[in-house]
Amino acid sequence: MRQRFSKLWALAAGLAIVQAVVHAAWVFPLWQKNFAPKQGSYEGLTSDQMLFAFAGFRELIAGILWVRADTFFDEGNFDAILPIIYLVTRLDPHQIDVYDTGMWHIAYNFTDEGSRSDRRYVPSAVALGIEGANNNPSTYELFYGTGWLYFHKIEDDYAEAVKWFEQAMTKNDVVTARRNILNNAYQRNGQVDKAVEYMFKVLEDSEAAVKADKEYAARQNRDTIENNLDNLLVRMAQRGEFARASGHYDGWDYDTKPPFDVGFSARVTVVEPKVIQVEGTWNVLPVGTRVRIVLRDSDYPDALPAELTWNQGTAIKLDPPKGLTFMQDQLFVKNQRFSREIDMSRDPNMYPFTKQKYLVEFYYNPRQAPAYIQDKFGWNGEGMTDKNFLNTQIRPGARVVYTTMELTREQLLRTGEWKEKVPIQQTKNFAGFGSKQLDDNVIKVPGILSEPGH
Amino acid sequence: MNVILAIAKTTLGEAIRRRVLLVILLVGVLFVAIAPALEALSPRQELTVLRSLTLGVIQLTSAVIAVVLTVYLIPNEIERRTIYTILSKPVRRWQFMIGKYLGAVGALGLMMALMTGIMLLVFVVMGKSKDVSDLAMLAKVPIAFFIQMSLLAAVSVFFSTFASPIVNFFLSGGVYLVGTMFDSFFNVLTKETQPLIVKIPATIVHVIIPNFQSFNVQNSVINPTQVIQNETMLYVGLSVYAVTYISILMILGIIVFEYREV
Repeated sequence: MRQRFSKLWALAAGLAIVQAVVHAAWVFPLWQKNFAPKQGSYEGLTSDQMLFAFAGFRELIAGILWVRADTFFDEGNFDAILPIIYLVTRLDPHQIDVYDTGMWHIAYNFTDEGSRSDRRYVPSAVALGIEGANNNPSTYELFYGTGWLYFHKIEDDYAEAVKWFEQAMTKNDVVTARRNILNNAYQRNGQVDKAVEYMFKVLEDSEAAVKADKEYAARQNRDTIENNLDNLLVRMAQRGEFARASGHYDGWDYDTKPPFDVGFSARVTVVEPKVIQVEGTWNVLPVGTRVRIVLRDSDYPDALPAELTWNQGTAIKLDPPKGLTFMQDQLFVKNQRFSREIDMSRDPNMYPFTKQKYLVEFYYNPRQAPAYIQDKFGWNGEGMTDKNFLNTQIRPGARVVYTTMELTREQLLRTGEWKEKVPIQQTKNFAGFGSKQLDDNVIKVPGILSEPGH
Repeated sequence: MNVILAIAKTTLGEAIRRRVLLVILLVGVLFVAIAPALEALSPRQELTVLRSLTLGVIQLTSAVIAVVLTVYLIPNEIERRTIYTILSKPVRRWQFMIGKYLGAVGALGLMMALMTGIMLLVFVVMGKSKDVSDLAMLAKVPIAFFIQMSLLAAVSVFFSTFASPIVNFFLSGGVYLVGTMFDSFFNVLTKETQPLIVKIPATIVHVIIPNFQSFNVQNSVINPTQVIQNETMLYVGLSVYAVTYISILMILGIIVFEYREV
């Protein structure tokens, strides 16, 4: 009996080693590679939700939480949605809508009283997009969504937009109507040749689609692409792109010649604590120019000229960095001038003003300009210049307008010596508006009220 | 072998007549049948939620059935003294135990097959599956669950050789919970930054405890966009792992049962 049991014990011990080896070397690695949910965190779930999640209802719990988030959207309780987005994407990393809506929500919905987005959140939106795309590589949606963040929200770093859109276009489920965006991204990134090449490819595909399906939608799509391609080719001709490529640009007149001096000047007045009045000139008469203004801590981490390092890794931070100030707005040009009051006094969380020194940056990049302005300025600003503030360094390949001013905390808060004295910073060339001082409600239309020479 | 099969057959017959098991089964079947009504919980993810919910219900119900079915297997025979009649015949204790286990697994298999059948029916009736291959993909998951529950039943049968049904219920449930959850913590507990005093016990537990998590293969079905490699190898590996582990538990159970005064 004892001997029989000793054999059984030995057999059990042997099998124990076999099971450990089978599991560690065979089953577990295969399972982890192919079947394990991509996220493993249950942090933040209530005990009943956690139990359900463990019991195999991860996706159900994720769905219930997302429905809950919807009610918070309706209530305008945006802060409450952030942890839900985080939790849902951890429970079910294939909830494409949650990633997509989450990105948009984080990047667009946190605003101050003046509807200015809190740009400190944008790196988190980008991180969410990258994570979502990595977790869902077979669909175009999150590649497109991340590209759209760069293209539309960040409105800069167009190389990143191109990178994401290019990946989106390789996916089988990409929607036909969304394919044109890569053409626009190429143009904004200054890659006009790539844009043309891409549009010919898209046109070819649309021709094939029409042959396969003669329905109205397919024909309409083909016609739209053809129209866009026509416009692009005409613009390239007018802006001298073909001549530049063949080395004949200097010998002929093109719309982009000679470079137009935009005559930028600006003045910043701290009219009240945390309220600034920004005024300036911009000699372009047609409306549509938006000059970017940034007011930030002079030592803001990861700051770049007139923007931030938007891709700060894949860590999704639900709270923006506390104690840091980064305000970004657009100065809309009308009648060759801009004037705007920016009130940062009502949102102390967004504008804490804890640092001693602040940088005010003015930035204009023709790559963001509407097409009718680009017709003069060119894709990269070759038809634009500024006697004082032209910069060809901060955005490689583009000619932009850029300048900075400094303000101190005392000046912005109107304390100390600035309690009675009004702090004013201005560019050396700022000389007021002079004859441009017109009724704000009237927009001068070129050809009717425009001044000679403009 | 005939002895084992005879005991298994009797156990199977008893199990499918037990009301408590039938009630649990009924609840599971009901949840699977009404699952499509909960689709609204996630717009554009309806199919994901439906698959997750139905497979989750099958898994949870099967786990409860596996434990409830097996915790009473041996204690009931002892309490009702029927074991004396059986063991007085030319039946060895190991034959009795293996027969009981196989009967329980057979009953479990039948009940899981019923729930899987209902689930497939729901998918067909509600038009949620594109074709037969879609249904086959869905039906593969309960096979992994069945292997998983057979392992859980073995854990429970082993405990039933020395523990009372109530204690066994919580013991088996605890082992199932830890075996399902431990992977989530294992990676954290064995990080390079962790001290050895944490890493070593974590590794030992990971090796010893039956790893139920590895049988959770539903993720690839719930999210079909996931690219799966070596699926067959995983199923073979799971079967080898489960059979090995079940054999260990049976051997240990037989030893304990042989020592037990009955």
